Amino acid sequence: MYRLSFRFLENPQYQELLKEGVINTLIITFFCLIFGFLIGLIVAMMRRSKMKVLRGFGAFWVDFLRNTPFLVQLFFFYHSLPRLGIELDPVIVSIIALSINTSAGNCEVIRAGLMAVKKSYYECAAALGLSTFQTVRHVVLPISLRVAFKPLVSNFVNLILTTSTCFSITVVELMGASKIINGRVDRPFEIYLLLLVAYCCITFLISMISKAVDRKIAITL
Amino acid sequence: MQEVHVMGQYSQLAVGDIYTFLEACGVTLLVTLVSLVLGTLLGTALGLVRCSKNKIISSLPLIIMEPLRNSPLVVQLFLVYYGLPMVFGILLDAYPAAILTLSLNTAAFFAVLVHNSITAIPVSQWEAGYALGHGKASTFVNVIFRQALRLLIPQAITLYINQLQCSSMISLISLRDICRIGQLVSVRTMQPFLVWGIVFALYYVISFPLARLASYLEKRVNFSY
Repeated sequence: MYRLSFRFLENPQYQELLKEGVINTLIITFFCLIFGFLIGLIVAMMRRSKMKVLRGFGAFWVDFLRNTPFLVQLFFFYHSLPRLGIELDPVIVSIIALSINTSAGNCEVIRAGLMAVKKSYYECAAALGLSTFQTVRHVVLPISLRVAFKPLVSNFVNLILTTSTCFSITVVELMGASKIINGRVDRPFEIYLLLLVAYCCITFLISMISKAVDRKIAITL
Repeated sequence: MQEVHVMGQYSQLAVGDIYTFLEACGVTLLVTLVSLVLGTLLGTALGLVRCSKNKIISSLPLIIMEPLRNSPLVVQLFLVYYGLPMVFGILLDAYPAAILTLSLNTAAFFAVLVHNSITAIPVSQWEAGYALGHGKASTFVNVIFRQALRLLIPQAITLYINQLQCSSMISLISLRDICRIGQLVSVRTMQPFLVWGIVFALYYVISFPLARLASYLEKRVNFSY
């Protein structure tokens, strides 16, 4: 009978490593959340623009990112940036790759939110004498972001789960730290089980919070 | 495959690499297809159990589904590939480990789709079935399931494409799939743009037609009752 042993958690060296992993995961998640949202917003606006070139670019951007694996995108940046003479820290490379990757999902969600704003709202805003910027700021964004809130959170959860892939380019985030610890103590079952539970807890927490927030900001159009 | 590079000289992309890439496509497609078939079967079963009227029975599949849906595939893969052999004292090859993990993962997501599309059918359809003298099972097969299938298929294709992308993770447990070969060849030839371009193209060529099919079908079935 196999005996689970979590003794390795008492070792301060491994605690340090796990702490570093958590911090790196948080850093990557935080920056990717912001950049991914901004790029997604820009591409979503591109896809609704009147210029054909911009619309085509937006469509290609989303199609391409959704139909190729994130791991390949990550390796592409990791291998090709040094070739261009740009040598970056793996953490930054993974932030770049993951931001671009999540922007595709965010773009689709935000676009759906923008489509929820009907033509009559624009006409109302024009009748009230709002400028284009004011219309976007006070009418379009508040409505579309509320509509898009739930799927955006599910994208965010996905983003957290995807950060674990970044260990493959030597980033010491949660997964990378676990892999290193496993290499030293050889307790793969315990470590990966712990990691699985940890990720589950994080995502459950986020979905619980998001449900509470969603109840507050929900609107009926 | 393993050519020796001397004094900073990197070997060029060779004709033999075409075969390596084709072989890699085979590995990716084999693992993906097998685990999609197994995952769909298991997922349908789990989804049907989820539709049960009994609250306890219907929430049983959640015990398997929620951890699989809320944790990274890499962690699941490593848990199965490195962890399970330690516990059960068996030797698990990379192929069965990859297929097991991917099918369980697919099943968890597929079960949600099945459950959603069956509950999306209005209750009036059940009543209509009963009114025509069908039994419970007969109503389900002849009335409900057919309509649910129409909602299910586009979403299922999207899921399949997603799982195809996820199958690139198996390169992390040393299976020689497209991603792994891309990595090896890219490092060997030092031509990352060309090699990763090929890898991107391979994945894109497989999944783009499917994505188009999914969005076409989604438009076809998108009408209200």
